[in-house]
Amino acid sequence: MLIVENLTKVYEDGTVALRDVSFEVPDGAFMVVIGLSGSGKSTLLRCINRLIDPTAGRVIWDGVDITAAKGEELREIRRQIGFIFQQFNLVRRSSVLTNVLSGRLGYINPAWSLINYFPHEERQRAMAALERVGLTGKERNRADALSGGQQQRVGIARALMQEPRLILADEPVASLDPVLAHTILGQIEKLNKEDGITVICSLHYLDLVQRYGSQVIGLREGRLIFRGTNEDIRKMTDERFKEIYGQEAERITGSSLVG
Amino acid sequence: MSDNPPDLPPKGAGPLEEQAMTEVHRSPVLAAIFSLILPGAGHIYARQTTRGIGYFLLTATFLGLLYWTRTTHEFEVFTGMLPALATLAALFWLWVIGSAVAAASGRNFAPTLGLLIVLGYTYLLGWQVTEVNMRKFLTEFPDTFNIFRRVIWPWRAAIERPEELQIVATRWANPCPDDPAEMPEQVEGSGDELWITVDPACGEFATYAIVEGRGALQPGTEITVRGGGFDPNERVEIWWEDPIGNEFQPIFQSEKVNAMADANGYFSVTFTAPQFNTPSIAVGTQYHGIQARQVVAVGNPRLTQNFILAINRMIVTIFQALMATTFGIVLAIPFSFLAARNLMWGNPITRFLYYAIRFVLNITRSIEPIIWAVIAVVWVGLGPFAGVIALTVHTIASLAKLYSEAIESIDPGPIEAITATGANRIQTIVYAIIPQVVPPFLSFTIYRWDINVRMSTIIGFVGGGGIGQLLFQWINQTLWYDAGMAVWLIAITVSVMDYASGELRKRFV
Repeated sequence: MLIVENLTKVYEDGTVALRDVSFEVPDGAFMVVIGLSGSGKSTLLRCINRLIDPTAGRVIWDGVDITAAKGEELREIRRQIGFIFQQFNLVRRSSVLTNVLSGRLGYINPAWSLINYFPHEERQRAMAALERVGLTGKERNRADALSGGQQQRVGIARALMQEPRLILADEPVASLDPVLAHTILGQIEKLNKEDGITVICSLHYLDLVQRYGSQVIGLREGRLIFRGTNEDIRKMTDERFKEIYGQEAERITGSSLVG
Repeated sequence: MSDNPPDLPPKGAGPLEEQAMTEVHRSPVLAAIFSLILPGAGHIYARQTTRGIGYFLLTATFLGLLYWTRTTHEFEVFTGMLPALATLAALFWLWVIGSAVAAASGRNFAPTLGLLIVLGYTYLLGWQVTEVNMRKFLTEFPDTFNIFRRVIWPWRAAIERPEELQIVATRWANPCPDDPAEMPEQVEGSGDELWITVDPACGEFATYAIVEGRGALQPGTEITVRGGGFDPNERVEIWWEDPIGNEFQPIFQSEKVNAMADANGYFSVTFTAPQFNTPSIAVGTQYHGIQARQVVAVGNPRLTQNFILAINRMIVTIFQALMATTFGIVLAIPFSFLAARNLMWGNPITRFLYYAIRFVLNITRSIEPIIWAVIAVVWVGLGPFAGVIALTVHTIASLAKLYSEAIESIDPGPIEAITATGANRIQTIVYAIIPQVVPPFLSFTIYRWDINVRMSTIIGFVGGGGIGQLLFQWINQTLWYDAGMAVWLIAITVSVMDYASGELRKRFV
């Protein structure tokens, strides 16, 4: 169980990205975060694994206060949380295999990793992860030689290497076309269903939200304005969805709603 | 890690404000008068300040150049040039007035005409100042043919065959002996054997005598020297050897006596016996030697000393570039971090350091390596090391700039991603930063080496060692074939480096 309590983030320039956000994520849930761009989705996800330090509030995961963790303890928490990025965030010039192996950095002996040495079983694990995302045979390619969808699958394989109990996905399909979006989300869903990994994923296509989310929270201007289950989302009309997205929703999400 | 909101819309990205054209109507007459007094003033009056200042500066420049043309002795001013320039300057002034009037009444005024006047003035003066001379350019071009020909195809200076002087001699008597048995024997050889004969085998020398009160040279006996077994189509020199062994080349019709061997190796040459004063103590018939000498190539062709020298210096040059590049990298890396905006922007002290380093690097880079080379030659003396110093200084400045730009363009995404896997700080540097930085660093470095090879050839001209110094020597000695070889070697090396570095860099970018 992941509990987010009164989470607030104020950036140095005074921007308030999150205001007093609280919610729980039961283990094994596929929670979707919806909201306009700028509503604080990315900040929320990054506060959970502390890529961004929250200003106030707590994130408690299975009784451990992530917000209080430091140094080695924080790294040990992070390695159990996979993160999938909108822009994939692969090291473009490195090979696919190196990118996948880098997901293992939190586990292996740091001294070996500095000279790019990974034990045989770690390489096996990386090959297995690549096979799972359907990229067998691509391990020697440079990451930027792959298509967008393939790059995101490398991102998933990298997260898999962490043997995560929780996956945070920040708009994982926003840079991809709708068909690829289903492929990628299908793979994340598989991890959720088969491996029981909890997923917190931000999305902005209503049909994707309805199709994949078991729980939904909505953010607007940093505030939690909606909480619901899969049932609630299925019943959700375009109008209601627009409401969550605010007044400008029409222009921004107009095509997304059908996409 | 940046502590900025990741998905906030960029601030202040409102719609582009349309440039407001303020319609001001001013008195055209006043504008004209102002511009007549001070060109550009009319525009300022009509609220076109920037234009006004620009036109004022242009007119001032034209008048200044006109004054300079009248007073300088830097170049020859042809007749009619000054009036032409003055007319154009005046026309420009008039145009500025016209333009000011138009600006005051909110209309456009023949911008093309103004541009034409400016261009006309500039190029008329430019042509003369740089002493462009089309007549010389065209008519004196053939003078360079000999140099061009040698430089363009210099390879005969690259290969030589060892040569040997072969000499064959016969005897000639003076005066003619009474006893035919004492006549020098003339024998023709056969086959490849070298031989010469002289006919007649005896005779009189040229003498200096007083004829009708004036000195005159009486030519000696006409003799014909024939020979065989020589290298075909090569020159044969005829030499004379007196009884005590002095050798000289006889002169016939103001030229030394030479012959060409024909295709079969035979030659024949006719000349008169030279002037020779037989000492009075000499008794009886004196026997002189007549020699035919020919320089013949023996053995296999081999590379000339100068070609080998050029190759040696080319290798030195490549290593010079390598050393300079290496020293440059070592020093450029620390500077590049200090000159990277994203690393130094944090606090005022580092920001000041950033500006200071950037300033020093910009100054250093703007000084050409050849100037550094002049300084380095004074510093460590002539030779390759001076060249290395000059190139190193310039390399540091250039690479530090390129490296720092590579550091500035790092994608923060992978850093975030690697941090998210639970990696520690050093692992993050190794897996997220270095892979992003090393390929552009390598690419820039190879490119720089390529540039350094090119530059080190020029640096040699001021004493920086390497092939440039050799080329400079050969040009000064007008050894065009050798200079041509050096030029070719440089061209080949530079194009190979260019191609190779291009291919290598493709793999890194």
